[in-house]
Amino acid sequence: MNDRAVVSSEAREKPGLLRSLRGAWRTLIGRYETVALVCLLVISTFLALQTDTFLTWNNLSNIARQFSWIAIAAFGESIVIIIGGIDLSVGAVMALGGLISARCLGVGVPVPLAAAAGVLAGGLVGWVNGTLVGRVRLPAFIVTIGTASIARGIAFGLTGGWPVRDLPEAFRALGQDDLALGGLSLPLPFLLMLGLAVLVSLLMSKTVLGNYINTLASSERALVTSGVNVVQVKTLVYTLCGVLAATGGLLMTARLGVAAPTAATGYEVDIIAAAIVGGTSLFGGRGSTPGVLVGAAVMQVLRNGLVLLEFSTNWLTAVLGAMTLAFILLDHWRRRR
Amino acid sequence: MQPLMRAVDLSKSFGGLSAVRQVSLDVYPGEVIGLAGESGSGKSTLAMLLAGLRAPSEGAIYFEGRRLRSPFRARSLGVEVIHQKPDLAEHLDISSNIFLGIEAGRPSSIHLLRVPNRRRMDEEAGRILAQLGIHLSSLREGVANLSSEQRQMIAIGRVMTRPAKLIIIDDPTLMLSYPCQQRLLSLIQAWQQQGTAVVLGSNNPDHLLAVTDRVIVLREGRRVAEYATDEASRDEIVAAMVGTSDHQQLTPMIWALDSYYRAREQADKLRHSQGLLESDLAAQDTLSQELVDQLAEQINALDSANAALQNAQRRLLTQLEQERKSLAREIHDQVIQDLLGMNYQVEEIETEESLPPALKEQLASIRDSVRALVDDLRHLCGALRPPTIDSLGLGAALQSYAEEWSRRTGITVSLDVYSGIGRLPEDIELSVFRIVQEGLTNVRKHAAASAVGVELKQASPRSMMITIADDGQGLPDDFDLAAPPTEGHYGLLGMSERVALLGGRLKLQNQAQGGLLIQAEIPHPRAVRPSEDVP
Repeated sequence: MNDRAVVSSEAREKPGLLRSLRGAWRTLIGRYETVALVCLLVISTFLALQTDTFLTWNNLSNIARQFSWIAIAAFGESIVIIIGGIDLSVGAVMALGGLISARCLGVGVPVPLAAAAGVLAGGLVGWVNGTLVGRVRLPAFIVTIGTASIARGIAFGLTGGWPVRDLPEAFRALGQDDLALGGLSLPLPFLLMLGLAVLVSLLMSKTVLGNYINTLASSERALVTSGVNVVQVKTLVYTLCGVLAATGGLLMTARLGVAAPTAATGYEVDIIAAAIVGGTSLFGGRGSTPGVLVGAAVMQVLRNGLVLLEFSTNWLTAVLGAMTLAFILLDHWRRRR
Repeated sequence: MQPLMRAVDLSKSFGGLSAVRQVSLDVYPGEVIGLAGESGSGKSTLAMLLAGLRAPSEGAIYFEGRRLRSPFRARSLGVEVIHQKPDLAEHLDISSNIFLGIEAGRPSSIHLLRVPNRRRMDEEAGRILAQLGIHLSSLREGVANLSSEQRQMIAIGRVMTRPAKLIIIDDPTLMLSYPCQQRLLSLIQAWQQQGTAVVLGSNNPDHLLAVTDRVIVLREGRRVAEYATDEASRDEIVAAMVGTSDHQQLTPMIWALDSYYRAREQADKLRHSQGLLESDLAAQDTLSQELVDQLAEQINALDSANAALQNAQRRLLTQLEQERKSLAREIHDQVIQDLLGMNYQVEEIETEESLPPALKEQLASIRDSVRALVDDLRHLCGALRPPTIDSLGLGAALQSYAEEWSRRTGITVSLDVYSGIGRLPEDIELSVFRIVQEGLTNVRKHAAASAVGVELKQASPRSMMITIADDGQGLPDDFDLAAPPTEGHYGLLGMSERVALLGGRLKLQNQAQGGLLIQAEIPHPRAVRPSEDVP
């Protein structure tokens, strides 16, 4: 908000068409969600013109289904980044959440309870992260690398390294069904993701907790002076991140029909990229859930586009990495101004 | 009574530096404790420890009998803190900052999920800020653009959102202007009346004397002295803060000169170092450190010199008053009595019938002259030493002086002295009398006024405000308090000196409707009320 105020006052000082164009450009750059949205539109238009398959309902619905779980995990990741932290364990937690649910289903636990168990496992990993970062004050980077390999190790240990197959139909429906809404048939994971986006968005913009989360990175001392239990807030944020990542992992497992211990390997890069492209500042203090949603969509459309254009997907990580760095640079450049 | 907070042998060191060394402290409910000390004496660190923001290296803190494990969340115990520099959340607006941590709203059971009720918070914040005398255009404005005084007042407002058991205040006055400082002091008094305990860290002895019950002096992290405020003097506290042991033997004047030369030497050194600094940028870091040290030393030396000069002047004034007193007594007891004796003798001679009428007439006129002379002398005595001040007190002395002055000059005086004035120490009563006297003399000589109002009122339990307002021509626009002595006018300068020696403040300003307004605020020990004298 402040940055925009600065921009408009600069524009007032220097009148003229060129200057006001520059002001408008800066305002546009100033809104990160806009930048992500423009990226999405440009890439989509390009793909729609270049390929016949991109703009088919089938392809779009597939994209929507697949980016949902990345988006859900990215909501949690962006909140962690907003308080000035980072969570590198989200990929492993996605795999662990799916696997715990699958193992529960394998011994006959009903679907809702099995799903709850998976989510709970994710929350537990998140709570450990939050406690070590918040209460013990260890660096988030190291802690979450540690818990990531623990979670991944448990996933391997529980299955002996083999994927779990033959998941019940009722569970797979979570990831594979469509829901008819007003003539449109929308994928269930996409609707779930939208629901969570609204919830997280409300939490962040309306509640006291959201207020503290947004304030934490820039004014931790003020919160401490005001008697806010900062350790509790940090623990809650990491726990929430774990819960959301495990939820994303459940949807992924249901969609694939297989719970593999190797699933979601390297997804933390996609997820952090989605959060940053969606306008979350790596320096903390800023980010919005709708922006992250758009960011995750950009990532998935890129992935889809490279396939449609018959590029090797081996190049994908390089493109994603470059894109992430570009957005971090943009953020850095804007902060310096 | 159980202490509200008890600190036992608190020590805190940062690396090798000990900031607080074995300080113990009991705070009782409804008590205002002053922590006096110069900057660097450990006040702020002690305040941080008491507020639970840092863990002490050694020692323990108890609250209501329960031992606390630091760092603790003071606010959940009912302990509020006002820091030297306000800790505000930069990107939140004003009312969010005031209610940070205790947002009002629904649902009321789980605080973190509460949706803040902005309207209620705005209303409440507006009420608090109005009480603080701060007027802001919008409460939804970010705090980043506010002045540091406004930011500090917002931090103070945060404390007023709900009743507290203990408020720890770490000298926030650096950021505050004089009226805001006064507002904070009167707030502290109001808090005390509500039963809230206050710990006030400050390096301003006037603030400490104005509101505290006890003053604890810290120097180099140690607790070096404690005074009951009613029995402490400003000088004692300052001496304990600075630590003046080795200077006391020297007479003040020699000491002042000595300090002056030392200060000049320091200034030369400073200039020299500055030259070095310019020529050698590589050594900048160490040198600037040295410079800062030398500057600090120099400031200390100047402070000491200033204190010594004030001391010397106070002595001079005291001696002057004593001289006047003995002179007045001499004239009254000796000269006047002699003159009256002579007058009586002349009267005796006059009754002799053998005298020719012409001689009798001459004698009568001599007697008249002698009587007039006695009157003049009595008058002189009154001016030298107000006769009523010792027996009847300041109020009565001012009353009789004002009546007499009005009769003499033909200028109407309205005198208003607050009823609870009681008896103050002799030197203060006399100084106040002299201040009024000099003020009225100034009116007679320069103001061309037809009426003047003199008012004494209580500003706080330990200070009074003297107001002298006339309807004359006021001060010229280019008036400079330092200038009049060159033109032979010592009145206003004398007043300002007396006020400064009492540790008070003098303000001169022209009134909107014309005429000069003189206001002097004088700190004094708690007055002995007349009613308390009667058992």
